[in-house]
Amino acid sequence: MSTTEMQAHVNKWYAWSDALLAKGHPLQGQPLEDHGRTIRGKDRIITDGPYAETKDLVTGAMAITASSLDEAVELARECPVFELGGSVEVRPVAEHER
Amino acid sequence: MGEKARALVDDLFRRQSGRLVAALVRLLGPSNLALAEDVVQDALLAAMQAWRFEPPSDPTAWILQTAKHRAIDRLRRQGRGERLAGQAVAEMPTHAFDSALADAEDAANQLAMMFAICDDSLGQETQVTLILRLLCGLSPGEIAGAFLVDTQTIDRRLHRGRARLRERGELTDVTDVAELRARKLAVMQALYLLFNEGFHGSDPESPMHPAMCSEAIRLGELLLSSEATRGADVEALVAMFCLHAARLPARLDAEGAFVPLADQDRARWDRSLIERGLRHLGASAADAELTRWHLEAGVAAEHALAPSFAATNWARIVALYDQLEVRAGSPIVALGRALAIAQLRGNDAGREALLPLASDEKLTRYHPYWAARAEIERRAGRPELACLHYRKAIALCHSEAEQLAYGRRLRAAEQDSSQS
Repeated sequence: MSTTEMQAHVNKWYAWSDALLAKGHPLQGQPLEDHGRTIRGKDRIITDGPYAETKDLVTGAMAITASSLDEAVELARECPVFELGGSVEVRPVAEHER
Repeated sequence: MGEKARALVDDLFRRQSGRLVAALVRLLGPSNLALAEDVVQDALLAAMQAWRFEPPSDPTAWILQTAKHRAIDRLRRQGRGERLAGQAVAEMPTHAFDSALADAEDAANQLAMMFAICDDSLGQETQVTLILRLLCGLSPGEIAGAFLVDTQTIDRRLHRGRARLRERGELTDVTDVAELRARKLAVMQALYLLFNEGFHGSDPESPMHPAMCSEAIRLGELLLSSEATRGADVEALVAMFCLHAARLPARLDAEGAFVPLADQDRARWDRSLIERGLRHLGASAADAELTRWHLEAGVAAEHALAPSFAATNWARIVALYDQLEVRAGSPIVALGRALAIAQLRGNDAGREALLPLASDEKLTRYHPYWAARAEIERRAGRPELACLHYRKAIALCHSEAEQLAYGRRLRAAEQDSSQS
């Protein structure tokens, strides 16, 4: 798929969703099914979800800089995770190819 | 048992258990649900024993055979004295089993069962819980994480659901189009949570299970292949799965810690999955209904297309979250929105959006909430507050990958705080 083709799919979606939003689409949540089943609107189910902002933005690790593995171990000793029964592994970070 | 064999059993079991239970329940009726679950569980335990040294060349066939023999065994014993006596049970099931278990290889069978167990008398939460437990192989603990409730709540729900299924003599395929549409939401919700568990769930051993993400994509595309179940909403759901799953190869570093979005090597994102996702996104632009799946797919597309973290279109993401808040608002949605607001309008605006969420009980037990609060304070140059919040996140998180990640961030915040 070329970049142009990719963009075409996205543009189609932008145009469609923008039009719906501009029309002031009624905001009642799920539509009623046409065969008359009652949908309980109030008991909205609350669940976890794979949101990039939550799962990818703030749960990531940070690299710490230490001059040696021994120094890194010393730094890790102070990690409060131990007070909570956790453990810390100290490993040098491999150089990634970019 | 070696690491590799254990991973194989885990992966196989998760993938196969749902299909095996589906095939067996279909064959034996829902009154034999407990038996079906038992023999599948037995087959797993037998595999862990038998595969200690070396897994068989065809592990799937091995599991199917073992489950079959155990089921026949149990039925024969049961049939000897009871109601099945006189029906030549000993001979009868073998062929039936072979064909039913051959079907177990077929995901369509699993999908049909998902619709079949969505009994009208059960609430949607219970329907989704049954699907996740019986047909997707999630543990009660993982399901509890998905619904942000405790495990006892899930156990009670499963108990109620199983009792209801037992009462029903026969589980027939749902073929009525109106009935299929009515049950589709529960099935979509279950696939969403199956994907979520694979993407970043609550399994303490491993927070990522790419096989579960592929399974959710496969079952979603299967929904699209049938006239009765396809729709713009399903296209949007599958688009969102593909666009998020594309990031999986870049989400963990060599040490098994999560890599923040800003630091992920975008060259490692799966371009073919992004293309697949965009095709589904294009196809979802139909009908007059903008569902929550559309909005979530839109957010995922913005990330997938952004050339860099800095060049991400946060204004559009916030606008999509605003709509999501109106249509399917929840504390979890509000958290994502607050983080997007922090990117767009700065730390003060982000904090202002995050603070009121602390009154939500579910969110106070959700570690990413505290990680979010910590991150905002760290960026705002208040390392003492950041440390406080990271400690809460560490106390609440499930896996080593998360502990490692938060531990490192806390360490950095402590260094900042001692220097200030």
